[in-house]
Amino acid sequence: MTLLDISGLTLDLPNGTRLLDAISITVAEGETVGLVGESGSGKSLTARSVLGLLPDRAETGGSVHLLGRSVLGASRSELLDLRRTTASMIFQDPRAGINPMRTVGDHLTEAMRLCEQRSAADARAAASSLLAAVRMPRPDEHLRQYPHELSGGMLQRVMIAGALSSSPRLLICDEPTTALDVTTQAEIIAVLAEQRASRGMGMLFITHDLNLAASICDRVYVMNAGRVEEQGDARQVFRDPQAAYTKRLVAATPTIVVADAEIDAIEARADVPGRASTAAPASSLPAGAGVVATPASTEPMLVASGVSKTYLRRGKAPVHAVIDASIEIPRGGALGIVGESGSGKSTLARMIVGLEQADAGDIRIAGRERTGAPTTRVARLAHARSVQMVFQDPYLSLDPRITAGRAIEDALRLHARLTTADARARVVELLEQVGLGDRHAQARPRTLSGGQRQRVAIARALAIEPDLLVMDEATSALDVSVQAQVLGVVERIRRDRGLTVLFISHDLAVVRRLCDETVVMRTGEIVERGRTIELLSAPQQPYTRLLIDSVPRPDWGREAVPQN
Amino acid sequence: MTTPTMAVKVLRAPRVRRGNLSFDISLAILAVMTLAAMFAPLIAPYDPDAVDFAAIYSGPTAAHWLGTDALGRDILSRMIFGARPALLGPLLVVVASTVIGILLGLLAGWRGGWIDAVLGRIFDVVFAFPALLIAIMAVALFGKGLVAPVVAMSIAYAPFVARLTRTLVASERSRPYVAAYRVQGFSGSWIALRRVLPNVTPIVGAQSTLNFGYVLAELAALSFLGLGVQAPTADWGAMINEGQAGVVGGYFLPAIVPAIAVVIVVVAVNVIGEELSDRIGGGIPA
Repeated sequence: MTLLDISGLTLDLPNGTRLLDAISITVAEGETVGLVGESGSGKSLTARSVLGLLPDRAETGGSVHLLGRSVLGASRSELLDLRRTTASMIFQDPRAGINPMRTVGDHLTEAMRLCEQRSAADARAAASSLLAAVRMPRPDEHLRQYPHELSGGMLQRVMIAGALSSSPRLLICDEPTTALDVTTQAEIIAVLAEQRASRGMGMLFITHDLNLAASICDRVYVMNAGRVEEQGDARQVFRDPQAAYTKRLVAATPTIVVADAEIDAIEARADVPGRASTAAPASSLPAGAGVVATPASTEPMLVASGVSKTYLRRGKAPVHAVIDASIEIPRGGALGIVGESGSGKSTLARMIVGLEQADAGDIRIAGRERTGAPTTRVARLAHARSVQMVFQDPYLSLDPRITAGRAIEDALRLHARLTTADARARVVELLEQVGLGDRHAQARPRTLSGGQRQRVAIARALAIEPDLLVMDEATSALDVSVQAQVLGVVERIRRDRGLTVLFISHDLAVVRRLCDETVVMRTGEIVERGRTIELLSAPQQPYTRLLIDSVPRPDWGREAVPQN
Repeated sequence: MTTPTMAVKVLRAPRVRRGNLSFDISLAILAVMTLAAMFAPLIAPYDPDAVDFAAIYSGPTAAHWLGTDALGRDILSRMIFGARPALLGPLLVVVASTVIGILLGLLAGWRGGWIDAVLGRIFDVVFAFPALLIAIMAVALFGKGLVAPVVAMSIAYAPFVARLTRTLVASERSRPYVAAYRVQGFSGSWIALRRVLPNVTPIVGAQSTLNFGYVLAELAALSFLGLGVQAPTADWGAMINEGQAGVVGGYFLPAIVPAIAVVIVVVAVNVIGEELSDRIGGGIPA
């Protein structure tokens, strides 16, 4: 029977902005329905409408029925009852949704004691069995722990247990794994699938990740700008998208699936055949080959050997962030560093750009020593010309007060004596190189979108004409289509100018699109290195295999023959 | 680090958003008072120090709108002239304490380490003394008048500004945009002075306006005690003091009028300061 029935839902703000437009969604019992879209598509708002969590002064139209009961216009007590008995929700950031001053046990038992008048002992026993159900290793011990004692993945499981404590018929998951590492994500997804199956719940799963949606959902709805663009069987929608938007989204999504043709191409290495596969790193190979051929030098652009960094903490064991790491990038090459949070990949990047000092080891860029901290102005500028960095979050890495053009101009004029007119001309040139234009020069960061900001950050780094560009999770804060744009810009610049890139990411699929070679890091150590495609198709280390297996992958390849 | 602040924020009652009307009214009041102070000789109906024994303790009349005091001086004229030290003193203190505080706070927040520790302890010591007490000590050492109290209050208020600046700068320093400037090769002092300082100044400045009201009240208290602006110069605090004798005799106006003026200005300045902090500071608690 139909658990959730949203039909013709519209939502308008008092200023007339239409945030949701004629949304119709159904979820049956025992079914997993995906709600897929980029930021601002209205997917979270739609999900929140199910629990009556809408903006105060919003005008709604249409209807939302949960087990036949209307949610829109329901009284406070009716809503409370629906939330207590029928539907629960888990959110993206588990740490933001839990009271840091109270124990996990308090969090889990509160609703049971207050709403169901269960005794403290009874509620505690129930909470303990819920924690066991979400596969927490030591339920009774966790009940006494505070949120800060648990990792993000553990805490998300606590939130799931909390959501399940009311035995809901419908579980709404709003990007529940987006803030988590890929291996943790795989565990959470497994827990959710198991609970959904054993309880026969319906699940409404919101995500921006097409691969994730495709691998767990029965049916999906693709949303864009407040409208449902396409809906249907998950396989059908992603294998053979009908709507133009879905097609773009599917094309922009990088994948780690390696087609046989690609391996052949790598082995042949003579030529790069024009492949139909969307995510082929077609551009990176000729760039690498072309620049190595220049007579300048055959010495690698970056040589880091035996680099280590240890953080000493008062009263605690020291953290070995990076242990004896050695990497090399040829001129014009692109190296990916892949690892989960805490693997030391960002620390290594910060040491290479000089934001942190290595305890041991040696870093050379274009043959010049770049290990120590520059002390003089000349040394500082020389270091900056050796290596530039693009940071993860373009919302934070641009000075909010400084316009895009000014930011680039400052960097230019620090390194070269330029007249104002020359500098301005160069700024426009750089902006055009990253697909922006003159009109963006006057814009402050807050008026630019995430992708535009990141492109400004890239232009700013390129203004200094560095030997090496380090990109630290430079696309992970961006939507897939924007990520594709930014990656496209980087690929083009590599092709045109032979830029050497060190690309750090947690996302194997993105690294695979950009980088010829990849190293895998885990708890400060490099565990495996090799050509990206070989690494993906035939990982040698168990950890690499675990990483690759954890990436959500529909169990049907895009190339696979339809089975039904 | 964020956890305790979050908890405190939750405990706070949600601030009721005042309409912009009170802000506009406050702004108008301050504007009128400032203009009156600037053009006092043109506006004031009488010489503020002119003694008229024919009209001692006259109530409000057509000739004297707010009446006269024990020496027959026109209260309205004295109020208008008295607005000069009343507004100028706090203005000087706010400007001086903001400049000193921002520079010290920038130094402490940007450099951290032992500089931060030493400055922090110095601030603690200054905090231990009430501003009024420091001002009284300054008067005892350097004599009565406006100058010694203003200098003393500037020093007493600087740590408030410095502590806020230090916190803001320390949090800015850890932001990626600062790291980005470093990677581009900019020097630490350039980043601190040319980029971080302008980013924190509006927030600090808005908070500093709130000090104006406190300083005004404290300077008035100092004059009331006879340690500030000296007779016969018109000053609100001194007028309240002189008016005390009249209150006993049933003549309230000479003391009440300047007292009400002090209250009005303090409230107006606080309304403006809070609104500015809300608009600029993005909810940084006072």
